[in-house]
Amino acid sequence: MPREDTINGERLKLSGYEPTDQSDWVTGLHPMDEMLRGERLPHIWCQGCGLGTALTTFISALQWLEKNQKWDLDKVAIVSGIGCTGRVAGYIRLDSFHTTHGRAIPFATGLKLAKPELNVVVFSGDGDIAGIGGNHFIHAARRNIDINVICVNNFNYGMTGGQVGPTTPHGARAVTTQYGNFEYPFNLPYLAAAGGASFMARWTVLHARRLEWTLRQAMAHRGFSFVEIIAPCSTSYARWNPEGQGLDPQKLRRRGLEVMKHYQKVGKIAHHTHPKDATITVDGNGLITEIIEGVFIDDPKPDFQAAIEQMAHSAKEKWIAAKKTLDERLQLPGRTDYVPRTEVQLGGFGGQGIMSAGNIIGQAATIYDKLRASLTQSYGPEARGGAAGSQVVIASDPIHHPHLIEPTSMIIMSQEAYAKYVVNLSAGGILFIDDGLVRLPRNHRQDIETFGISATQIAEDLGNSRAANTVMLGFWTAIGGVVSKPAMIQSLTDSVPPKTIEVNLKSFEAGYRKGLRIKGRQ
Amino acid sequence: MNEQQGLLIGEHFLMGDYAAAEGAIMAGCRFFAGYPITPATEIAERMSIRLPQVNGIYIQMEDELASMNAALGASWSGVKSMTATSGPGFSLMMENLGLGIMTETPCVLVNVQRGGPSTGLPTLVSQQDMMQARWGSHGDYEIIALSPTSPQELFDLTIRAFNLSEKFRTPVLVMTDAEVGHMTERVAIPPPGEVEIINRPQVRKGDMPPDKYRIYQDLHPDCGFDTVSPMAAAGEGYRFHITGLTHDEHGYPVMNAEANEWNVNRLMSKIRDHRDEIIQLEEHNLDDAEVVVVSYGISARTSLWPIEQARNDGIRVGYLRLITIWPFPEKRIADLARRIRAFVVPEINMGQIIREVERCAAGQAPVFGVNRPGGEILNPEKVEKTIRQAAGQM
Repeated sequence: MPREDTINGERLKLSGYEPTDQSDWVTGLHPMDEMLRGERLPHIWCQGCGLGTALTTFISALQWLEKNQKWDLDKVAIVSGIGCTGRVAGYIRLDSFHTTHGRAIPFATGLKLAKPELNVVVFSGDGDIAGIGGNHFIHAARRNIDINVICVNNFNYGMTGGQVGPTTPHGARAVTTQYGNFEYPFNLPYLAAAGGASFMARWTVLHARRLEWTLRQAMAHRGFSFVEIIAPCSTSYARWNPEGQGLDPQKLRRRGLEVMKHYQKVGKIAHHTHPKDATITVDGNGLITEIIEGVFIDDPKPDFQAAIEQMAHSAKEKWIAAKKTLDERLQLPGRTDYVPRTEVQLGGFGGQGIMSAGNIIGQAATIYDKLRASLTQSYGPEARGGAAGSQVVIASDPIHHPHLIEPTSMIIMSQEAYAKYVVNLSAGGILFIDDGLVRLPRNHRQDIETFGISATQIAEDLGNSRAANTVMLGFWTAIGGVVSKPAMIQSLTDSVPPKTIEVNLKSFEAGYRKGLRIKGRQ
Repeated sequence: MNEQQGLLIGEHFLMGDYAAAEGAIMAGCRFFAGYPITPATEIAERMSIRLPQVNGIYIQMEDELASMNAALGASWSGVKSMTATSGPGFSLMMENLGLGIMTETPCVLVNVQRGGPSTGLPTLVSQQDMMQARWGSHGDYEIIALSPTSPQELFDLTIRAFNLSEKFRTPVLVMTDAEVGHMTERVAIPPPGEVEIINRPQVRKGDMPPDKYRIYQDLHPDCGFDTVSPMAAAGEGYRFHITGLTHDEHGYPVMNAEANEWNVNRLMSKIRDHRDEIIQLEEHNLDDAEVVVVSYGISARTSLWPIEQARNDGIRVGYLRLITIWPFPEKRIADLARRIRAFVVPEINMGQIIREVERCAAGQAPVFGVNRPGGEILNPEKVEKTIRQAAGQM
C-alpha cells in the first residue's frame, strides 16, 4: 500500500512522528502499520485500556496466517458492533464493517454465507455480543456458522461511562450499581458451549502471546469459534473496583497496569476445562479472585455451509422434475365467450381440501380457460382444522373487487360452513352440497337452487375419501358451467400429488356424470 | 444446470407472496434472510424452496433484527438480497433499515401489511404502515417505497424495487398488504431476456488502485450517477470501511455538524434529484376530472368499481394511483389541486397518505378521506358515497 495514503502527513506532525525513509524501521513504519488505517490514528481508547493489546495480538495472528499462506488478507472481513471494542473495525486496514449495536454477528452471517471464500471475524465487546446481541450470539453458535467471534470483555459498558453489563461480576461496582451488582453475570464460554460452538477459549490481555496463538487457531478453525479476551477498562470499571486501586489519586494514571498485575495474580491456565467450570470467581465485594484461562473446546463439526451445500443437490433435482411438469403442461385454446362476474364460495372444514379446490378452479379459469380469476382464502385460527373457506371470483373483465359481493355459487362440505355461508348466497344462486355431510334444515332457503351429492361416500368407494373435494368439483363443473371441463381436468392433474392423479380423475368424472344426469333431467 | 434454467417463466396461478419471491429471483436476488410472520411467511417459504435451486442462500434468522442485518451483510458480499415481514417485524427492522440507508446498501424489504398496532390483526389486511415506511427509522433520510395492487404487480414491482435499490444504492420497500400477498391470480412471467435488470455500479478486484477508491464519492462522472458511487464488495482487495456513524467519502467517522450535513444531504439528494425517474403513477380521466381519487395498493384497485359507477352517473371523477408511494408525487398533486374541485383518498388506515395529499394540495382543494382501520378492504359503496360528496352531489 502506498505510504502517502496510509499516513496523513498533518497528523504525523502533530504526534511528533516524522518518517524519513519508508525502509527505515526505526523512524519509519511500524511492522503493523500496513494493517492499520494510519489516517484514523490516534485511536479513541484510554490510557491503560486493554484494547490496544487485543488489537495488536489480533493483527499478529492475522499476519501469521498470511505469512503461512492460510489466509489471503484481501479476503478477510472484520465486523464490529457498537462500543469501544466496536471501533476496531475502523482502525484495521481490511474490509471492515462498523454495524449497529449488537448486530455484528447477523451482519457477518450474511457476509459469510453470500461469499463463502471470505474469512469473517466479528470483533466486538461484551455488552454488544452478550447484552444487546446475545440472541444472535447463541444462534450463530447453534448454526455453527463459519465465523470467528472475538469478544473483548471489560466487565462494563465503557463508552457510555461505565454502566453495569451482562458480564459485570456479582457484587462489583459500576456507575449504575454503586451499591454492588445485584445481578449475576454470564460465563461467556459456557454460553457459547451451550449454543453449540465448536471452539472456545479465554485469555486476559496479559497473556498476549498465548492469546495470539489461540487467535490463529480460532481463526483457522472451520465452524463457529469464540474467544473471550478479558481486558482492563482503566477509566470506568477499574475506577470503581479494587483491581484498579479505586480512586487513589496516586494510582489514577496506572489503573490499567494495576489491573494487569491483578490478572497475573488471579489468572489460572487450565486448558480443556469444561466450560461450565471455566469460571471467573469473585469475593463478596466483587473483587475477581480467579480467572480460568485456556482453550476449553476445540472440536470441529460440520458447519452451516457444508450442510446447505449438501441440500442444494436435492433441491435442484426437485426443480428439474417440477420444471418438466410445467413444460409439459397442455395448452388449451381458452374460452372466447363472455363470462360475467361469477362469485364462488367454497366452505368446509380443515383437511377437506377446500383451499386446494379453490385453487384448482382459479387455475382452470386463468391458465386453461384464459379468463380472469381472483382467489382469496379465509385465514386465521379457523384455517387450522376448524372451518375453512375459499372464495373465487371469475370473470372475463378485470376483477376490481376481489372479495365476494353477490356470491352466485357455493360448494359446501360441512354443516358449519352451511350455517356460515349459505345466508350470503344471492337469490337465484346455486348451492352444491355434500349431502352426506350437510343436512338441510327445515327452513332451508327456497330462493336458491340446491344440488346434493354424496361426495365423501363416492370418493371413499373409489379408494380415497380425500378426493371428496374433487367429486364436488366435477359435480359443480357439470351443473355450474362457469369453467370448462377440459380446463378443470388439466388444472386438477397439475395440482394433486402424482400418485393420486388417477383416483382424483375418477372422482371428478363420477361427480361430473352425476351432475350431467341431474342437468339432463331439468 | 445453469441459473437461467432455474427461473420460473410462463403463466401461473400464483399467490402474491410467491410472486414476490419469483420476482426477486428473476431480479437476481440470491440471498434471503427472514423470520416467520403472518402474512409474509409464504415469501420465506417459497424462497426456502427456490433459492437452493438457483445457487442462492436461504436462512431463517432468530428475529427480524438479524434478518435485516444478514440481508445487508450479504449485499456487501456483492449479492442481491431481500427480507420480508409484516408489522411487528417491520418495527424491528427499522433499526437496520437505517443502517442500510446510512451505509448506502442495496437490498429489498417487502412488508405484507396486516392490522396494527402491536400484534394487531395477524391474518387480516391493513395499510397502516405507510407512514412508518417513510419515517420509521430515526434520523433524516429519503426512502423509496412501492405499492402493488395484484400478484402480477407484486412480481413486477419486486423486480423494480431491486432495480431502484441497485441503481440508487439504498434499501427499497415493497409496501404490499395481506390482501394482495395472500391473493392468488394469474401471473405472467416473461423470459429473462425481456425483463429489465439493473445491477449496482461495482468495482471489482483490479479495476482501480485501492488507495484511489472512495466508497462514497463519484469516481466516474460519466457513469450517469450523480450521487451514487460504485460499490466494492468485500474480498475484492479494496479494504474499505463502512459505518452507521456520520462519515466522510472514505466511510470514516467524522463527528461534526458539517459532516452530518454532507452525509444527510447526500442520502436525501440522491433520491430527491431523481424523483421523476422513481415516481410511477397510473392515471385515468384526469383531463376532465373535477374529483380525483388518489389511492394505492388494494384500496386503489377496489376504488375502480365505485369510480366507474360514479362516472356512469355523470360525475367527472379521475383516478390517480400511486405505484411509487415514496418519494411522494408532490408536484403532480399540487398541479391537480389548482384545477380540480376535490380529492378523495381511500386507504385502509385512519388517514396516513391523506396527510401528504393535504400537504401538497395546500388548501387549494379539499381532501376527503375514506378510512377504516385494518381487517377488511374498503366497502365500494362507502367510496362511491364519498366521491359524490366530494363532487358536491350530497
